[in-house]
Formats: sequence, C-alpha cells, structure tokens
Amino acid sequence: MIEFRNVSLAYNSKAVLDNVSFSARFYERVAVLGGSGQGKTTILRLMLGLARPDSGSIIIDGQDITELEESQLRESRMKFSIVFQEGALFDSMSVRENVAFSLREYSRLTEKEIESKVRELLRRLGIEEAIDLMPEELSGGMQRRVAIARSLAGCSPRMVLYDEATTGLDPLTAESICRLIRELSEGEPPDRTGLIIVTHKVSDAAKVAERFIYLRRGAIAFDGDMQHLMRAEDRELRIFTEELHRME
Amino acid sequence: MGFAMNMKDNLARLQDFYLLSLKAPLGLFRRPFYGREIVEQMDYMGPGSLFIVLLVSLFIGMALSLQISAELAAMGLKMYTGKIVGMAIVREIGPVSVALVFAGRAGSGMASELGSMVLGHQVDILRVHGVNPVKKLVTPRVTAAVLMLPVLTVIGDGVSLLGGYYISVFASHQSGPFYWSQIRDVMSFKNLFSGLSKPFIFGYIIACVSCYTGLSARGGARGLRRSTTTAVVVSMILVIITDFLLTRVLMYVLGMRI
Ligand SMILES: Nc1ncnc2c1ncn2[C@@H]1O[C@H](COP(=O)(O)OP(=O)(O)OP(=O)(O)O)[C@@H](O)[C@H]1O
Ligand SMILES: [Mg+2]
Repeated sequence: MIEFRNVSLAYNSKAVLDNVSFSARFYERVAVLGGSGQGKTTILRLMLGLARPDSGSIIIDGQDITELEESQLRESRMKFSIVFQEGALFDSMSVRENVAFSLREYSRLTEKEIESKVRELLRRLGIEEAIDLMPEELSGGMQRRVAIARSLAGCSPRMVLYDEATTGLDPLTAESICRLIRELSEGEPPDRTGLIIVTHKVSDAAKVAERFIYLRRGAIAFDGDMQHLMRAEDRELRIFTEELHRME
Repeated sequence: MGFAMNMKDNLARLQDFYLLSLKAPLGLFRRPFYGREIVEQMDYMGPGSLFIVLLVSLFIGMALSLQISAELAAMGLKMYTGKIVGMAIVREIGPVSVALVFAGRAGSGMASELGSMVLGHQVDILRVHGVNPVKKLVTPRVTAAVLMLPVLTVIGDGVSLLGGYYISVFASHQSGPFYWSQIRDVMSFKNLFSGLSKPFIFGYIIACVSCYTGLSARGGARGLRRSTTTAVVVSMILVIITDFLLTRVLMYVLGMRI
C-alpha cells in the first residue's frame, strides 16, 4: 500500500505539490496525467524517497518513509523500480554495463552469469544487437527499452514507475513500449506487478492503466477509472481526453 | 522577506557545501572503493589538461622573462633575470596560473558532467540502487584533482622556466648556464615547499566547488549553464584569495620576512 497524506512541497517558495493525498495498492495500474511542470515527476521521486516533502507523510507498507535516513530507504526502494524520463541511462557506460549495473549492485553473480542475464533481458526487449553500443548511439525508443531492461534486472519489483515512457516517440514505437509495459504487469490483482505511468498522452495511458489521476497546479483534480474519465466535465481535462473522445 | 529567505537559502547552501567538502575525502576510507573511477578521473584531469597547461605556461614564462629582462637591463642587472623569473614562477605564478587553467578546463567539465547527470536523473538512479553519489562521483573527482594538479603544476613550472630561458638567452643574450645556475639557487626547500603545497589545496577547492555546483544544478539547459559558470567563477576567485592567504601563512611558517 502506498499512501500520500497531505503532502506539500515547494521549491524556491513556489508550490509544486499542495496538500496532495491519495493511496494506491501495489498491484494497481495507475496513470498520472498532467501538463508540464505540474509535479508528476516529483510524485515519483517522493515515492522513492529521492525528494522529501515540506510537510505531510508518505507511507509505504505502513512505514513513513519521510522519517527515514538515506541509508534506511533501501528496503522500501527495492519494492519499486523506475524508468525515468528519457531513460536516464549512464552515458559513460555501454548498454551492457547499464543493464548489468543493478545486477552488480543487488546480486553476487559471476561475470558469466551477468553476461547471460543481460543478454536474456535485452533479447526479451528485442534489442540484443545493441549490447555493445553506447547510449548516445541509440534511438529514443531503444533508450527507453534499455532503461526498462535495467529496471527489470536485479530485484523483482512489486510496482514499476514509468516517467513519460512514451513521450517523444513515434506512434509505432510508443505502441510497442505500451505493449511491453502491459506485458510486464500481467496477472491477477493481488500478485501482479503494478505500475504507475506518468504521462501527458492520455491515449497511451489508456492502453496500460485502469485508474487515472489528473494533477493540476499541484493538486489532484481528478481521480477515477476510465468511465469517469470520459464523463469528466472539467474543461482542461476534456482537452487532455479529447483524442479519446475522437477515437470513440 | 525575500532577502531573509535568500539569506536562509544561502546559509543552507554554504552548509551543504561544507558537508560535501568534508564527506568527499572521507569516502576514500570506507567501502565500497571506486578505484576505477579515480583512475578515469585522473586520466581526464591530468593528460587531458596537459596540452593547455603546457601552452599557457610556456607563454607566461616567456612574457615574464621579457618584462623582467627589459626592466633589469635598464638598471644594468640583467644577469638576475633567472633568479627573479624562477622565484616568481615557482612560488607564485606557476601554481596560480595552472590552477586557473585547471579550473577553466577540469572544473567546468566536472560541473557540467555532474549537472547533466542530475538533470538526466542519473544521480537518482544511483541513489535508487543504494549507491552513494558523493562517494561514487565526488570522492574520485576530488582525489584525482588533489593528485593531478600538483603534477601539472610541476610540469607547468618546468615549461615556464624553459620559456624564460629561451627569452633570456636568445632575445636578451644572457648566458644560458648562468640562467640555470640561478634557477638552481631558487630551488630551495622554502621556495619549493611554498610553491608545491599550494596546488594540493587548489585542487581540493576546485573539485569541491565544481562538484557541488554541478550536483545542485536545477532547471534544464539554462540551469546547467548557470552551474557551470558558477563553478568556474567561484573556483577562480577562491583560488586567488586562497593563494594570498596561503602565501601569508606559508611565509610565517617558513620564517620568511617581508
Ligand atoms: N530539485 C528541484 N529544485 C527546484 N525545482 C524543482 C526541482 N524539481 C522540480 N522542480 C520544479 O518543480 C516543478 C515540477 O517539476 P516536475 O519535474 O515534477 O514536473 P513534471 O510534471 O514532471 O513536468 P514535465 O512534464 O515537464 O516532466 C517544476 O516547475 C520544476 O521546475
Ligand atoms: Mg517530468
């Protein structure tokens, strides 16, 4: 269970999140929608303890992570894995080293085992041939795939967080990434790996998520399922969902 | 209100900076050790800065020698060029000019690299995996700078002295062996110590300032530009002020009188 209780955060006296409260179970598939700079990435960073709120608490499995020190956060971070906006690959390392990074951190595998694990992951994502390339030699879609591979290596997360996983990609690549994201979250509720996808593309969100949260000026302006989303009256939200209406 | 907020922010930042500067060297003594990163950084900072250090040092040595021989010639004391040039280079101009070049090259490099790692969430990924970014990113850079800047300074001093030699012998027609014998006189323990202790401290300052500003980059490409500029400007100012203070302290410690 993930719970935000009255979380507020301001940077340079500008409010980014203002008294945000919501909760989600680990198996849920949630999309967080919102315009640029509305605090979407910040929510993910708060969940992992990478940023601290000015006030309020963030409770993960009954534990308030805002009270923990950096060194104590490891256990709660292991429950998640994250794919950041643009992938966040280490640009001084090859694809192999990027994917092996979490394996080296979390497990005591031999070099041979690491190599075969890395290959297996890359094969699963359809980019085995890129193993020796550097991140700058990859296209945007490949970078996302490598980032997803890296997030899957090492631990088995209970929930995967995707920050703008499909933004800036052509529709075909975006579609295949969505399918991948969906595949990684197969299964029946209590056991499946959940996901939170942060995006401003509602059409992609609709492909992978069942619950939608709309952020506006640091507050939750909408929280509900697909049906409610389509019926929402809010004028700004209607602009977001326009493409869905058109598709109908 | 705005001013008070600003003041508070600045104090908090200063405190963060001190903490970073203290934690960076401590990282050397606690597991895990990042030896490969240290070597990589040494390679980037040392050989990577060598060419520009050589170039700058050579021309500084030549210019200094020109100025000094012209001035001394008017007084009929031309033969002392070597002594004055040597003294100035070893004690003062060598360490400072190499440190300034280093701040411009390696300092800006560190700040922009770390800044883009922060903005690209690479630092977040490190933290998610339980890697301490100070140990992984800052400690190797500070270590490498503290080790490489003195080496660069020695090389720079040597090249400056060669430049000085070239001018005094070929432009100002003095005796070459006499120039070198004066340089040998200059290489006393006191002079060498006051010249070569400085780069260790300058390296530490430049690396800490640049890593700190890099890690505190915010706000896209403009933020990156700001943090890189700040790194270089603040490093240079601190180097020059520290140089003065250090010179004063060293003179006192070594019993030199003015
Ligand atoms: N560490 C930080 N320091 C200062 N300001 C920050 C920091 N992190 C985020 N901000 C600011 O907080 C606001 C929200 O940032 P956030 O990255 O969460 O937005 P976002 O919704 O993910 O936007 P985008 O769609 O552009 O990625 C922005 O105005 C940003 O400038
Ligand atoms: Mg974002």
